Amino acid sequence: MITFKSYDGETFDIDETVAVELKTIKHMMEDGCAGNEIPVPNVTGKILAKVIEYCKKHVESGKAEDQAASDDLKAWDADFVKVDQATLFDIILAANYLDIKSLLDLTCQTVADMIKGKTPEEIRRTFGITNDFTPEEEEGIRRENQWAFE
Amino acid sequence: MAYSFPEEVLEHVFSFIHTDKDRNSISVVCKSWYAVERWSRRRIFVGNCYAVSPVIVTRRFPELRSVALKGKPHFADFNLVPEGWGGDVFPWIATMARAYPMLEELRLKRMVVTDESLELISRSFKNFKVLVLSSCEGFSTDGLAAIAANCRNLRELDLRESEVDDLSGHWLTHFPDSCTSLVSLNISCLGSEVSFSALERLVGRCPNLRTLRLNRAVPLERLPNLLRRAPQLVELGTGAYSAEPRPEVFSSLEGAFGSCKELKSLSGFWDVVPDYLPSIYSICSGITSLNLSYATIQSPDLIKLVTQCPNLQRLWVLDYIEDSGLEALAAHCKDLQELRVFPSEPYGVEPNVALTEQGLVSVSEGCPKLHSVLYFCRQMTNAALVSIAKNRPNMTRFRLCIIEPQTPDYQTMEPLDVGFGAIVEHCKELRRLSLSGLLTDRMFDYIGTHAKKLEMLSVAFAGDSDLGLHHVLFGCESLRKLEIRDCPFGDKALLANAAKLETMRSLWMSSCSVSYGACKLLGQKMPRLNVEVIDERGPLDSRPESCSVEKLYIYRSVAGPRRDMPQFVSTMDEDSELRLS
Repeated sequence: MITFKSYDGETFDIDETVAVELKTIKHMMEDGCAGNEIPVPNVTGKILAKVIEYCKKHVESGKAEDQAASDDLKAWDADFVKVDQATLFDIILAANYLDIKSLLDLTCQTVADMIKGKTPEEIRRTFGITNDFTPEEEEGIRRENQWAFE
Repeated sequence: MAYSFPEEVLEHVFSFIHTDKDRNSISVVCKSWYAVERWSRRRIFVGNCYAVSPVIVTRRFPELRSVALKGKPHFADFNLVPEGWGGDVFPWIATMARAYPMLEELRLKRMVVTDESLELISRSFKNFKVLVLSSCEGFSTDGLAAIAANCRNLRELDLRESEVDDLSGHWLTHFPDSCTSLVSLNISCLGSEVSFSALERLVGRCPNLRTLRLNRAVPLERLPNLLRRAPQLVELGTGAYSAEPRPEVFSSLEGAFGSCKELKSLSGFWDVVPDYLPSIYSICSGITSLNLSYATIQSPDLIKLVTQCPNLQRLWVLDYIEDSGLEALAAHCKDLQELRVFPSEPYGVEPNVALTEQGLVSVSEGCPKLHSVLYFCRQMTNAALVSIAKNRPNMTRFRLCIIEPQTPDYQTMEPLDVGFGAIVEHCKELRRLSLSGLLTDRMFDYIGTHAKKLEMLSVAFAGDSDLGLHHVLFGCESLRKLEIRDCPFGDKALLANAAKLETMRSLWMSSCSVSYGACKLLGQKMPRLNVEVIDERGPLDSRPESCSVEKLYIYRSVAGPRRDMPQFVSTMDEDSELRLS
């Protein structure tokens, strides 16, 4: 059993088989830098709980051998990412920091799906992004995009 | 809540976004997204090679792996673009050789590709994998030899419909014995014999080969050996499909085809002898695509073949299939999506086959998924077109070529306005349309009113006045490409809709009534358009303003006027007065 301690002091006891899914932690353990309690400074308890939930589920499911098990896992993944945008982004950052490839792929694909088919204005609104182009700069890029690359 | 992801995370998100449209959208969101997007873009499509320059491309996208370029306008296929017009790919290759040493894929359409370009490609890109030359010209088999010899990881070599200076078939032997990576080889456009033993060895050592399109010179007797070396083939183009009727050849063929369980697409069949067709029957149930446009066999044999293919999705065939064959097709091939019927004798005066509008009506009735049509015929009625429109509101591409220009509805002698009007009215997803027959300005009014998703329109020998052109330019909101020949369209509509031309990729007009003066005016008014006059009758500067130009090609560009124009092409812009004098 390994104990993780989040940024805000929450602790989680998890099986070693699950802990090694977090590549960053796995490397720490291999290098002998990890004691009984491993601090995870960049991740809050709320998000760490979600990350551990994901890793537990995927370790339990193993290599989904048959189509039915694989479909079930996909459905579980689809539900897993049905969270508010802030949580989703925090999970992405955690997955990136902790180097959990499959979780990073899943969450980045989810964000990509939120982008596809949208106009630039819609994308900005969805993610609360400020347009820092001048009108002339934006017009120039749009023209180049449409005239040259479409 | 504004989040700024680390760049590598943003890049990871973008790695799931592939379409040109989406990539272009994300590039405009904000400065940091623009930066990450341009560094992470791996593939681009340039619909008009003169709309942008190689320098602009390499400056914006430093890490491309896959480039697609299109050169000459579509009407080049009908010999309307003079020799030497342009579309030379060499400047692109030269720039990309320096900027993209890791380039993997090049897809070129209607471009001039010299042996020098092919040699440069073969030497410059160590990981080069895919070369598709579609309707290209300017190279010989020497250039192909360089590609074969030097591209160690070549996966695709596809020469579809290119014009190749076929010096000898020896080039194929330049593939080294270590080459085992081929997935697709299309040499169907080549004239001369390739080395058969080299071909057999090449096919035999490429376990991932899924597409093999042979040329006519590969005799039928050689086919079984090739097939036995590549039972995993998915797409096959045969060579000539004729031989003396010999049972051992037949059974060898039949056996070889029988072991190709993955075959989905067939083409080739030059000079096909009907006695040999049953050799493919055993695999017909898996066939989804059949190209018989070189198969000069008659309707009964075509019917026998086509009715064996219940899963057919695409059929290209000569008009020998006749109305009876199309009826059989409609009855048996319920999954059909695309039909192209080509003329066996396009220059004949009298019809040589019993193919009429009825054939197309039958298919439109019987095939619920039919959405793409190219149909050559000699007669049409408004009633037939209305039926087709009502039967197939899901039509997306409709190209009708009534061989004789300005042919009216043969029953009523009326123009075909109402018929084509029904097509654009009912087929709300129509993206491409080619018109033919007798058509008045009224037809263009229908198009402008209804064809809101139309992207490409081809017009020949149609319309009465400028009003026709005006309806199209004014009404077709999604129009990207417009090509017109031999229509009474002049200056008025063009100048009145000048701004529209910046929303389209290109406009081609030949043998119309656009004056030299109007071209100059347009060039001055719209500096971001390249207004190119193509006129082989001699220098333009001595012409009166009212003189009609032979051909006009107008396209938007971020690269300014091109600098590689031959004598007979002139750009009309602010400086054109100076340059021409």
